[in-house]
Amino acid sequence: MDQSLAALVIHDLKNSLALLEAELEILARQPNIPDEAHKAHQRCADLKQRLVGFLTLYKQEQGALQPNRSETELAEFLEDVLAASPSANCKHGHALDVRIDSARIRCAPEVQHRGTALLDEYLVELALESALNNALRFAASKVQLWFEQTADAVSFCVQDDGPGLSHHPAGMPPSTGVGLALCRAVIEAHGGGEVTLRDAPQGGALFRLTLHCA
Amino acid sequence: MQETAGASTIANMIAGKKPGYESEFVRFDQMKAMVIDDMGAMRHALRSQLEWMGINTVKSVSNAEEALRQLELTQFDLILCDYNLNRSSSGQHFLEFLRIQHLISAKTVFVMVTAEAEYAYVANAVEFAPDDYILKPCPEKKLRTRLERLFDRRNFLMPALLAMDAQQYDQVVSECDRLMTLVDNERWKMAALRLKAEAQHALHDEANMLKTYEQALALNNNAPWVKIGFARAQRMRGDLDAAERTAQEIIAQHPSYVAAFELLGEIRKARNDQAGAYEMIERASAILPSARRFRVSSESAFLLGKLDEAKRYAESAIQLSSGSITESKEDYLSLAQIQTDVGEPEEAIRTLEWHARRFGEQGEFGVARNAILAQAYHDTGDTDKAKRLLERALRVMPQDSRSETLNHVGKAALKLGDEITGLKLMTQAVQGSDDRQRIARHVAKSMRDTGRQDKVADVIDAGQKRILALVDEAQKLMRSAQFAEAYAKLQEALTIHDENIEALLAAAQLHLLWLKQQGWDAEIDARAKAYLATLDKLVPQNEKVMAFYRFYDQISEA
Repeated sequence: MDQSLAALVIHDLKNSLALLEAELEILARQPNIPDEAHKAHQRCADLKQRLVGFLTLYKQEQGALQPNRSETELAEFLEDVLAASPSANCKHGHALDVRIDSARIRCAPEVQHRGTALLDEYLVELALESALNNALRFAASKVQLWFEQTADAVSFCVQDDGPGLSHHPAGMPPSTGVGLALCRAVIEAHGGGEVTLRDAPQGGALFRLTLHCA
Repeated sequence: MQETAGASTIANMIAGKKPGYESEFVRFDQMKAMVIDDMGAMRHALRSQLEWMGINTVKSVSNAEEALRQLELTQFDLILCDYNLNRSSSGQHFLEFLRIQHLISAKTVFVMVTAEAEYAYVANAVEFAPDDYILKPCPEKKLRTRLERLFDRRNFLMPALLAMDAQQYDQVVSECDRLMTLVDNERWKMAALRLKAEAQHALHDEANMLKTYEQALALNNNAPWVKIGFARAQRMRGDLDAAERTAQEIIAQHPSYVAAFELLGEIRKARNDQAGAYEMIERASAILPSARRFRVSSESAFLLGKLDEAKRYAESAIQLSSGSITESKEDYLSLAQIQTDVGEPEEAIRTLEWHARRFGEQGEFGVARNAILAQAYHDTGDTDKAKRLLERALRVMPQDSRSETLNHVGKAALKLGDEITGLKLMTQAVQGSDDRQRIARHVAKSMRDTGRQDKVADVIDAGQKRILALVDEAQKLMRSAQFAEAYAKLQEALTIHDENIEALLAAAQLHLLWLKQQGWDAEIDARAKAYLATLDKLVPQNEKVMAFYRFYDQISEA
């Protein structure tokens, strides 16, 4: 299959999945609907998310991942990421406390535009969503998000209160690997930075995505 | 909703809202919304999401034409519009159309819904930006978060937006100044500055507009709309070099920012560098094709004598707008005139008698149509038919015809050998125009095409050079508040030609500023009114004149 045809097919699939997701959301909102409808909606959303992730990696491989940066209000952006995460707030029926931890937000005094940065919101959201989903899988009761800003970089952090990296329960793989590859693609598109996933000093796992953006 | 509350506290903490301003609770149940999407399933999904938020009145339509009909009936708080409306028109064209024609209220929040592939293409490229973009599909919770934020900002700006809708531009300016003191939030301040600059633009208050943009630049020099506004204000103040530098800076940062190319085109035109202007206009058309840009490209090419390119652009404009809201019957006149000039009179006849037949031959359109047909039939050798058509055009031509029409008819007269009528109409076209430079180029071209190049200078100059020099001097004096001296210059200009539009516009503007800055004076007031009345008669519905009238109303109320 030639490449442009393949690209067309994949985009068509993605758009169809998006519509299916929207329709399942409507279905899941009906009164007295069986739990399967919610699961189907969730599964469809995950599937679309994965397809979008693969597409992004594919584009990067082809050298076609062009960032489209715009000025981003960081607190609002995190709010959006949180609102977009379909599984936030519930885990096996228990409520998880997922929130932006304002106490940990830091802006270095030399930052010129405090709380804003030039980012490709779409790409960064992709990277953070996968980190957030990961944290939601392992969290015991809460997940916290925040950002830290210096004069030439901005970091996004996601921390859970799960067992941490060294104590993953059997049968749960630490990460799909796609998530980290996606983060690296996003970093490259933003002209550098780094991604780390390590045990947090207070317990749990701490994900940190740093983007250099002058 | 816990995390939303948390996040807005952070937004407050980082950006800082002063305790004096309290956000109102956003009431979705009171709102009216419209969803525009050509895909039924998407329309249904967006509509459902809005209903879940509690919006009770949601209209959904599948195209721009239906949306326009809805806009005539209802003032919407929110419009969610798909970028990809159909093959020939995009949500961006629709938004440009709504803003240019002033068809939506300043209070309406317009959100563009795009697919990811389009997003990269549309965001940051344009001047007529929507209030926000959302990528589809957008989960309900995220859409709600975004809309809450947008309406929070709209509620904050409400007093100024209401004044904007009422065209009380002085009040917009004072409200924006007041709102600025209530918050420290940079984005909200920027939104207030943007409105203020728009109001100052409507007031033709260029000096203060420049100051407003400087204020916005000091807050944030990353936003392209600030820079383009700044550049435009510099150009309006006559500082072409500075305007050009600013526009180039924007392009260096945002290589696909169409408005910057369009401004560079204007600057080059003002410098009389027509080829350079055309180059910029072509680049703008290539980045974001639209019927409006194709029209500008076509005219530019036409005036440069690049008739094949002009024809291509004119055809594209018709193709892109045919059957849509941006359709214009004038496009057929332009195309037919180009076809005649390029030596394809049969094509021109087909364009007007066949493709444009549904527009009839009423009014000025009919006059221009028959004048171009007269030229075309003359070229095919059917001189009798040509003569009849020209006579018909001359017989029904309205007294106050537009310069474009006068030029078409004048060219037909010259071509058919009626030199006296032709030259009279051409002179009238130039003198009666409020866009003299452009019309003069059209007239010069018509005269060269019909072998009257030796008379071009007579027709176009006819005292114009001296008048323009006087107007120019008067404007300089006006800027330094030397009103009486400026008035003397304009009086001199008007003794050369008492219906010269540019001199009259300058005189009206001078008297309005005079009244505003030095207080009410019966004599100046009477003169201001007289100039406005003359202009209203000579160029009815002229945008500048209307703005002057509004300005006058505001001064006299104050």
